Amino acid sequence: MTRTLLIGLDGATFTVLGPFLDGTAPEGVVMPFLAHLIETGYSGTLASTAHPLTPPAWTSVMTGRNPGHHGIYDFVRFEDMGHEVFFTLYDARDIRAETLWQVASRQGKSVVSLNFPMMAPPPEINGALVPGFVSWKHLRRNTWPGGLYDRIKAIPGFDPKELSWDFEREGQIGELMEDAELHAWVDKHLPRDRQWFTIGLTLLQEDRPDLFALMLDGTDKIQHQAWHRLDPALWTGDGDAAAQAVRRLVVDYFRGLDGYLKALHEAAPEAQMIIVSDHGFAGAWTVVRINNYLESLGHLTWRANDGSEAARRRDLSNFANLDWSRTQAFCPTPSSNGIVIRKKSPACPAGVDPADYPAFRAQLIEDLLALRDPETGKQVIARVMTREEAFPGQAMDQAPDLTLFLADHGFVSVRNRVPPVVTRPIPMGTHHPDGIFVMAGPGVRAAKGARLSIVDTTAIAAHSIGLPVPQDFEGKVPADLYDPDWLAQHPVTIGPATLAVAGAGEGATETASETAGTQGTEEDEQREEVLAQLRLLGYIED
Amino acid sequence: MLQTVDIGARLRLTLAEFVEDWGLDIEITPETSLVGDLEFDSIDVIQFVVAMENAFQSRKIGFQDLLMQEGRYVDDLTVAQIEAFLRDRLA
Repeated sequence: MTRTLLIGLDGATFTVLGPFLDGTAPEGVVMPFLAHLIETGYSGTLASTAHPLTPPAWTSVMTGRNPGHHGIYDFVRFEDMGHEVFFTLYDARDIRAETLWQVASRQGKSVVSLNFPMMAPPPEINGALVPGFVSWKHLRRNTWPGGLYDRIKAIPGFDPKELSWDFEREGQIGELMEDAELHAWVDKHLPRDRQWFTIGLTLLQEDRPDLFALMLDGTDKIQHQAWHRLDPALWTGDGDAAAQAVRRLVVDYFRGLDGYLKALHEAAPEAQMIIVSDHGFAGAWTVVRINNYLESLGHLTWRANDGSEAARRRDLSNFANLDWSRTQAFCPTPSSNGIVIRKKSPACPAGVDPADYPAFRAQLIEDLLALRDPETGKQVIARVMTREEAFPGQAMDQAPDLTLFLADHGFVSVRNRVPPVVTRPIPMGTHHPDGIFVMAGPGVRAAKGARLSIVDTTAIAAHSIGLPVPQDFEGKVPADLYDPDWLAQHPVTIGPATLAVAGAGEGATETASETAGTQGTEEDEQREEVLAQLRLLGYIED
Repeated sequence: MLQTVDIGARLRLTLAEFVEDWGLDIEITPETSLVGDLEFDSIDVIQFVVAMENAFQSRKIGFQDLLMQEGRYVDDLTVAQIEAFLRDRLA
């Protein structure tokens, strides 16, 4: 019997959902099922990870730990070799904490996990797992258990290319699109959620797992690109025909999403249903070319541009393209919103002397907070957190030295363009720290809860499937979540800590240091092609 | 320590499984090249490194040394080149 449906809606926010739920949207009530769940269940704002980004935030949902413990900070991981910086992707082996899927499995519970990021290569669980953010070419060997891929392949309508991550298409996020182009872009995203839903419904009905976890990410993609057609503060209903068509399409998406939720609930009406997002959304107007600003402060030097096509591509990539022999501090990727301060060593003579690090960092924070929008005179970086503040834990050493919080919640740009601060013609959807939490089902009170933490989700889900909450989970089950009688019959208990996992990161780090003395530093066109294809989410480039 | 014959067999099996769903009609031989014959793109290279690290149960093989030579990324690699590299590192 399925006890828990854990449904992730990437980037879902009450800012957009609110009018769809209460009928104040021009289209009226768009999501009646979710509105019913909220009316009869428990709901509230869910605070994301310190840096509200998909990989760290969903990994927190899966592990019950913050990034300082689980070690995932971005899509992209880099290895600073001193003379060169290599970019690659984080994967499941880099997670330094047990996931709930693993905790449940070793206690005899069955699990279905679909479309969660950082789940490839797949961990061995008691159930079925298909990771998200993987190209169709690599799905088969990244599903668990063996044989699952052929099983889902037999589901009518299954199309791996529709299901999977399209790196080229996702790389377009952040590009300014006319409505006709935007309509086509959104339209191509819709089948993916339908594919995941169909697989999910099939496995839910056939396997009846104790814990069924499915993440749908159309919400995030569509809000990134079509925020100006979704934000109730921006959509007045007065757009031209092309704008109206985009609006109809995105509203239809949310209507369809409501149908998916309803169908999943109807397939397991006995279960508690938990709906969470990894972060919320907002509109960002300001482009902050952070590495350009760091250059003006004298902390970095761009890699020389010889006018070639390769050099042009490098400058347009979403990876810091720098002269590493003359760089002390830099932002590696737009999605990181982080500043890395390089420390001086034999391999990295350009770095900051460790003795000077505290003063260097303090001055840099002051300089970052001093950056102003030339049009308005307003501060563009609202807050800067040190890694000790943002990401305390065993994996803190992998975090950026500084994490930036832009005044409009935007992501920075790492491209070599000037000036450092400009305003977009339309706002781009960006991540806001406030996501959503909704829970309904047996024993769940009808109430509005206080602001929850994203790691509370994991404790709640563990308890929901009948497990003690591991003592090292950082979240808690809210005291007002359940009816008193039900809670008395299903008390929250604290159990043994999670088990140690083979900390990845370790292998990569050692490999990097092993290689540090042997690699050359010459320019490399194929490397740039790698980087171009690794654009992933193009968060707020310009 | 792995036997040489095991390394070659494991490499070819891993590669065959890797491209199983790609719709290619190519027999994998020592001369087969990743980019020229199997149409690898950059993401595939990264995924292939992960697959190899899993197949040989080590993240410390140092594939950068195979992918980068004299400070430049190689344009392509044959199965024979990969096998020779693995023998050097693992046998």
